[in-house]
Amino acid sequence: MTTTDAAPNPLREGLERERVPDPSVLVIFGASGDLTQRKLLPALYSLAHDGLLPPGQTIIGFARQEYNDESFRKAMREACDKHARTKPVDDAIWDVFARGLFYEQGDFGDASAYQRLRKRLEEFDATRGTGGRRLYYLAVPPQFFEPIADRLGDEKMVHSPDSGEPYTRVIIEKPFGHDLATALELNRVVVRAFSEAQVFRIDHYLGKETVQNLMTLRFANGLFEPFWNRQYIDHIQFTVAESIGVEKRGNYFEQSGIARDIIQNHMLQLVSLVAMEPPAAFDANAIRDEKVKVLRALRELRGHEENAVRGQYAAGSISGEEVPAYRQEENVDPQSRVETFAALRLFIDNWRWADVPFYVRAGKRLPKRVTEISIHFRPAPFALLKTLMRNPPTPNVLAIRIQPDEGIALKFDAKVPGPEMRTAPVTMDFRYETSFGGEPPEAYERLLLEAMEGDATLFARRDEIETAWAWLDPLLESWSQSGSGPEMYAAGTWGPEAADRLIEGDGRRWRRP
Amino acid sequence: MTSIADARVDPAKIERELAALWRSEHEGAPRLTRAALWNVVAYAQHPHEHQLAEQVMPDVSVTVPQRTIIVAEQEGETLDSWISANCHLVGAERQICSEEITISAGKSRRGHIAPLVASLLLPNMPVAVWWLGDLPDENEKHADEMLDDADRLIVDSSQFDSVTDLVRLRKITKSTRTAAADLNWVRLEEWRTATAALFDPPAMRERLQNIRAVRITAGGDGSFGAQAESLLYCGWLMAQLKSELEIDIARGDEERHMQSIEIRFEDGSTAAVNRDSGRNVVVGTGDANAEPLDCVVRLQTRELAGLIARQLRKPENDRVYEKALHAATELAGRRG
Repeated sequence: MTTTDAAPNPLREGLERERVPDPSVLVIFGASGDLTQRKLLPALYSLAHDGLLPPGQTIIGFARQEYNDESFRKAMREACDKHARTKPVDDAIWDVFARGLFYEQGDFGDASAYQRLRKRLEEFDATRGTGGRRLYYLAVPPQFFEPIADRLGDEKMVHSPDSGEPYTRVIIEKPFGHDLATALELNRVVVRAFSEAQVFRIDHYLGKETVQNLMTLRFANGLFEPFWNRQYIDHIQFTVAESIGVEKRGNYFEQSGIARDIIQNHMLQLVSLVAMEPPAAFDANAIRDEKVKVLRALRELRGHEENAVRGQYAAGSISGEEVPAYRQEENVDPQSRVETFAALRLFIDNWRWADVPFYVRAGKRLPKRVTEISIHFRPAPFALLKTLMRNPPTPNVLAIRIQPDEGIALKFDAKVPGPEMRTAPVTMDFRYETSFGGEPPEAYERLLLEAMEGDATLFARRDEIETAWAWLDPLLESWSQSGSGPEMYAAGTWGPEAADRLIEGDGRRWRRP
Repeated sequence: MTSIADARVDPAKIERELAALWRSEHEGAPRLTRAALWNVVAYAQHPHEHQLAEQVMPDVSVTVPQRTIIVAEQEGETLDSWISANCHLVGAERQICSEEITISAGKSRRGHIAPLVASLLLPNMPVAVWWLGDLPDENEKHADEMLDDADRLIVDSSQFDSVTDLVRLRKITKSTRTAAADLNWVRLEEWRTATAALFDPPAMRERLQNIRAVRITAGGDGSFGAQAESLLYCGWLMAQLKSELEIDIARGDEERHMQSIEIRFEDGSTAAVNRDSGRNVVVGTGDANAEPLDCVVRLQTRELAGLIARQLRKPENDRVYEKALHAATELAGRRG
């Protein structure tokens, strides 16, 4: 869905970007925070650098901290110097970009601050051609959503999509709730001021090139989709591994744990993209309809706790350095029972995936940072060469590396040259960097641009969020009520032994990514 | 970048030698990764063109992995070939390598070149022929044969000496399955981007149909080649707007590139795109709002390797160029 009314610009045809959004005002609530400085402004600058923002695009920061336009620009320049993808910052581009950068100081609940804000936005419409188009980015903790949404509503700064007025959209960041009840409440607050079509929920994983390439791999190639089902696939593994610990996020992590932080959102997004049916169209709702069907088909975890394992890192060694246990981290309870690792065996009870296990694992302080999906195919149906072969054939594996070293590899067996029938696994390897070079855009660049263009394909919809929580809640409840805590694993290993038992009990093994 | 092997071989041995080359991992050397997105044939008719191709193609393969085949016409009757691998490091662990095959052919052996090149192309990969120097005449059979397998013909219209070359290029695009790709068109990309950006805001977009005239100031010696960039720009604008415009191409300073564009509307108002040489950018300025809004586009490299790489990074043929070429040819014909 896009909301540009004017005819497309014919001079854009054939250029790198055939369409750029119409100029709008992007209001960042919480503009003095870490997310703005580390991700949002650098991403916006990089878009400007690549010529993807229209002349007149305007950004205004809104927060309590004392800044004026000039000091805000200075702070944002420093942030871009540190964090922008395209470095060093290009002075010629920055000068023009910074002319569209403003700041309004105010409290999130203060009506007069919103009156000032509204006045400035109207001025931009006249001076910068922003035409009443508004994007509100809530880079704030969820407790501020309600006062912000209410004040925006009170000041008539939100136009319904049916009003015929220029668009208003809101972008919100995870966490989208702590459980189903809080997610429902959060959505209730948000949709009180905005309709669902105006809400863009960011899961930055969906902005990654390789995640988007999942759909290309499946639906732009004739080769894979015919095999993408229970008839040919034995099981699928998902790994989201981080080598870092909780760092300064101890307070947050104590409230969330890895299941809420990674599995409920990023991991289930990956699962649904891999498992979904081909959508009827390549548009936001058609794709999200298919994703949510996968989530609805997830077999209940209630009563099947044997399908889940949790762990917590103890002291250990990463990259040759001693690292402390989770319980020794800053702002972490020394008796904490919060999980820093989780592994689950999922089943998707539908026609395509019946009884195919999806093994997912996510953890902190694992040996390396890697996100990978591996599709493990069934062995050949008849061991034709069995009597001749000195070693058994290995199953084919299609490995999709999300980060780092983004790429796709297919493992298959080949005959080792010589008189005997010996086989060895070989790999056909595709790497983005090798084939295409250059650095892919940051996830936030893509997502901000899509929100400006009004395309919600890469954003999570309300029912996805709520269905994911409804599925995960019973497990979280069971863990919180359990007498036993997570199993310890040494930092620098691939998680607790129970995770190995989870998959090895099925006669399979975790792939070493 | 290193050339890790050289071996004078006959054509039948080339593939075997290449296979051996890839197996030859030197002890302690970073792992080799072979990659190719294109077959690129650089056709040089003179020694200085051959030298240029040898300088440029390794740099192109750094950014666009490819099998490179350099064809160098020589005096005499020899037909030789040799191979090498162009490698560059990616991080500390891996080298990415692309293959380079050179064919040296005496003019009397021209007829053998196209079949030999055809046998050496990587299967199922697109083929680009970079024709250095003048475009061949229509009656040169070997040139037509070279283009039989070509998906793309890369030329540089800044080297053209008359409108005849534009006509010939247009004829190739119309009568064969080979798409034309002009390095001069790549040079124009920042100008086109800045012009397009000017008209992105809805208030400016509405004025597109009110453009009446374009005045371009371009440097150089006044030769046809020096004007080709301006002609292509005007051709592009007229083709995309589907309208005739008053065109004025004025001669600027010594430097051989476009310096400024003034776009004049029916009501007498103007928009402009100017080159800021000091900052190496082009800046577009429009006046649709109360506050004039600039758009700035960084000028990218003008070196040949960079231009060819940018051309090859576009996987699809450029239909917009074909339209612009058609309009530019007509315009050049009218201007005499």
